[in-house]
Amino acid sequence: MQISLSFEKFDEVLNGSKVSNVIWNQENDSALGSSSTQQLWTDKYKLCSLEEPDVQKKNVEHFLTPSRFEGLVNPKRDLALGSSSRQQLWTNKNKPCSLEEHAIQKENVGRFLTPSRFEGLVNPDHDSASASSSTQQLWAEKYKPRSLEELAVQRKKVEEVRAWFEERLGDSKDKFSTNVLVITGQAGVGKTATVRQIASHLGARLYEWDTPTPTIWQEYMHNCKTGLEYTSKLDEFENFVERIRRYGSTSPSIPGESKSSAILLIDDLPVTNGRTAFERLRQCLLLLVRSTHIPTAVVLTECGKADSVDSTAQSFEELQSILVDAGARKVALNPITNGSIKRTLSKICRQEQYSLSTEQIDLVAQASGGDIRQAITSLQFSSLKQDPMLNLSLSISKPNFPEEKADGHGGFSIQFGRDETLSLFHALGKFLHNKRETDNLVKMDQDAFVVKDKFSRLPLKMDAPEKVLSQAHGQARPVLDFLHENFLDFISEDAIDDAWAVASYLSDADLLLASFRGRLVRYNEADNVLQSAAASVAARGVLFGNSHPVPPRWHAIRKPKLWRVDQSSLQKKKELLKKKFMAWDGSISADVYNGSSSSDVSVLATEYAPALKWLGNRTSVGLEAHEAPIPDNETQDVDIFEGMSLDDHESEISNYESEDDWMSEM
Amino acid sequence: MLWVDKYRPKTLDQVIVHQDIAQNLKKLVTEQDCPHLLFYGPPGSGKKTLIMALLRQVFGPGAEKVKVENKTWKIDAGSRNIDLELTTLSSANHVELSPSDAGFQDRYVVQEVIKEMAKNRPIDTKGKRGFKVLVLNEVDKLSREAQHSLRRTMEKYSASCRLILCCNSSSKVTEAIRSRCLNIRINSPTEEQIVKVLEFIAKKEGLQLPSGFATRLAEKSNRSLRRAILSFETCRVQQYPFKDNQAIPAMDWEEFVFEIASDIMQEQSPKRLFQVRGKLYELLLNCVPPVVVLKRLLYELLKRLDAEIKHEVCHWAAYYVSISFQILFIVPLVDFPSPLECSAQAAYIQPPLIRANSDPVALHS
Repeated sequence: MQISLSFEKFDEVLNGSKVSNVIWNQENDSALGSSSTQQLWTDKYKLCSLEEPDVQKKNVEHFLTPSRFEGLVNPKRDLALGSSSRQQLWTNKNKPCSLEEHAIQKENVGRFLTPSRFEGLVNPDHDSASASSSTQQLWAEKYKPRSLEELAVQRKKVEEVRAWFEERLGDSKDKFSTNVLVITGQAGVGKTATVRQIASHLGARLYEWDTPTPTIWQEYMHNCKTGLEYTSKLDEFENFVERIRRYGSTSPSIPGESKSSAILLIDDLPVTNGRTAFERLRQCLLLLVRSTHIPTAVVLTECGKADSVDSTAQSFEELQSILVDAGARKVALNPITNGSIKRTLSKICRQEQYSLSTEQIDLVAQASGGDIRQAITSLQFSSLKQDPMLNLSLSISKPNFPEEKADGHGGFSIQFGRDETLSLFHALGKFLHNKRETDNLVKMDQDAFVVKDKFSRLPLKMDAPEKVLSQAHGQARPVLDFLHENFLDFISEDAIDDAWAVASYLSDADLLLASFRGRLVRYNEADNVLQSAAASVAARGVLFGNSHPVPPRWHAIRKPKLWRVDQSSLQKKKELLKKKFMAWDGSISADVYNGSSSSDVSVLATEYAPALKWLGNRTSVGLEAHEAPIPDNETQDVDIFEGMSLDDHESEISNYESEDDWMSEM
Repeated sequence: MLWVDKYRPKTLDQVIVHQDIAQNLKKLVTEQDCPHLLFYGPPGSGKKTLIMALLRQVFGPGAEKVKVENKTWKIDAGSRNIDLELTTLSSANHVELSPSDAGFQDRYVVQEVIKEMAKNRPIDTKGKRGFKVLVLNEVDKLSREAQHSLRRTMEKYSASCRLILCCNSSSKVTEAIRSRCLNIRINSPTEEQIVKVLEFIAKKEGLQLPSGFATRLAEKSNRSLRRAILSFETCRVQQYPFKDNQAIPAMDWEEFVFEIASDIMQEQSPKRLFQVRGKLYELLLNCVPPVVVLKRLLYELLKRLDAEIKHEVCHWAAYYVSISFQILFIVPLVDFPSPLECSAQAAYIQPPLIRANSDPVALHS
């Protein structure tokens, strides 16, 4: 808050009441850049640029520039140079100028750096650009729904949630078994907004639990010095729940609040790592569901429809089922429909006086994938492109940026929006079902590539296979294995030639991947090329080879049997070797060396194993563990017993190992 | 104990089949320092037996006191550490292992093991030979990288360590290694020799072995002594006294391949292909190497096919077998995390195999 202090001082300067020493100092030393306040400015600047580390730099600039430049309204200033922001500012600052002018500059710098914070401090008399101050706000914040009617969420769902809260907030709250509502839905469908609006609609006070920001390392080190204990986020959450349970409210200090009009919103459950932590969270949630007296909404963000093997997706499912099992009511919000996104967007456009054609709005809405926050941000982003000043700065700071993109339609490519994802099975289904147009609608061009009849196929009813693959995040190996396992179901009964063609393409793809298994792993480039080439060959091979697809009907997609075969053959191999060695152990203990040496597995499997099977009942090294061998004497009996128990143990271990392998391969 | 192990010759003098080679080896190690050795020959010809007998000749009966160890090597491979687990057989004077069990990491095994052995050189109190012997099995299955590093380590540590390499086909061992070793080819025993061995065993066991039956056993064994003795013992369990026309049980996996071949000939449809694939998985599950399956399947198919398409089927079989070897030997398979050669082979042999089966030309017959 040092900054705001200095701003206050600036205000004083502007009002001409007092000239503080600090300011003078600063101005005198500004050329050296060594005064303490100056240091703060740089720090502040750093923080500002770090504020959005995951957003692409380019985008950050795009966002920040308009507000910057609207602040820097002085036409005398060299705007073209403004894109290299820091330098420009400091040069400006270092120029000797009158006190007042300097102060205005400062002010501009201030807005530039911390628009939101500065807002409160702006003295309207001096803020020349106050008319446009509204643009500084993010639209997603600015146009967040103010009433229930404004919510873009499905009316029915809103009503459902509202009714639920109303019932609980009513007088007869004791008759309900639980007071917890779980709201699920993907990001940006308005889960939190719904609860907020309902709370304000019902006139209830909203208590929120927000996951605390993570402790960064420096902070932790600092706290250590001051003697503060580190508490994990989970601990904090536990304490929070405990408080609620005990006192029925988060902040008991607020006076005059009746409990009946309070709503608790738990926006984000702490992320847990590992089983024990998860178990604690589970207990915590159970406790919450059973004992809370305030109507509570738990908001869970769905992790997207892509079937990630990610543990977060799993834990989402688990958390949801834990809550529901404990008796919580569940409301699932669907992605927001295109229609209502479009309505919202055009409303914003009207209010911002920003003209955008319906097609463009449509495009933005579609690209958002049902995420309204994303849609609004995209809209704001696209509106920036028509700002002439921005264009100017863009063309200077990024010379490579294509000029034509700035004017209108060209810029509406896929520069924003969420990438659509498909599940792996969806993609596999596309390949296997092989849906094509019924007749060849594509008109043959004059110079179109003419192919022989037997190679020509009807056009596909889907995107290019490569695109489908990338949408499904498909890795070549699993895709190939799945296709190989399942493709036979989709080939018509007498088309053995097709089966042959597909198998041969899959084999080619497999060959590509087999070489990838080797050394090339190290070279990312080569690895990527091979991977995608193999996946492409596999997908296109399946599509091309299956020239007479069977009429679509439902097929279950099986997990590749090959994986199991891989695993168990490894296990079997270990077993074989073990058996062989067990025989030795026995003979060594009897001090007789039997003279055999280790044989390779293929010999063991093809020659020893069948023979031993025949001899099974007679020898101590019966290959089939379940065929109980009939021992000749007691000592052998003991040997066998030990051998078998050891074997069991070993196979268990190897089972785990191979599972791990499987996981890591995925 | 199986007869194969029980009647394995312990010393070079006891050897029945390759007496001349045994005598030469004996002379070699008694008269002078032993060079690196490379034994190669078809399976069941007696390579291992000779190696063990040779070790006994060099180190005395101590070489027979072996212990089985599951050793883990920690290998520092620059950017990461690799843990390798490998089963070794070792006595005071020698270590035996199959580096190809480590799959793609075989290179590290070769380097590390030899280095370690060179470090712990046996202290020769009695002024005996101060070297250890490292027996490496299946060198032909080593990746090219591993073979290359084997060559280097061989040179570097040759003062303290002798290598005995053992493989089926010397053509898959690099020229560089072959020229640094004394190559000893072990032929398959002739049928007469096999009969002789069988008669020797019968005498020791006190069994009556009709000569006709012995001849049939030898014929059926495909000139593999191990196989002959194994099926001899099997027959003994099934029926004794022997008859001349007694049935000799086939290997179960061979019968299984036979079934697959009949399935293929009966019907050619995607559904049948699926069934066949299931049966192939079954074989792979039992660790039968894909190449062996493919060979056997070709053999079975050729018996039933018309003359004009035999050529084509052979072509495809050879094509896919060669691809599988190309992958094994040309592309270095060093770093892949799961050291499972069988699965690797299975994975790429698998589709080809189906293609060979379902070759439309073959199936239209």
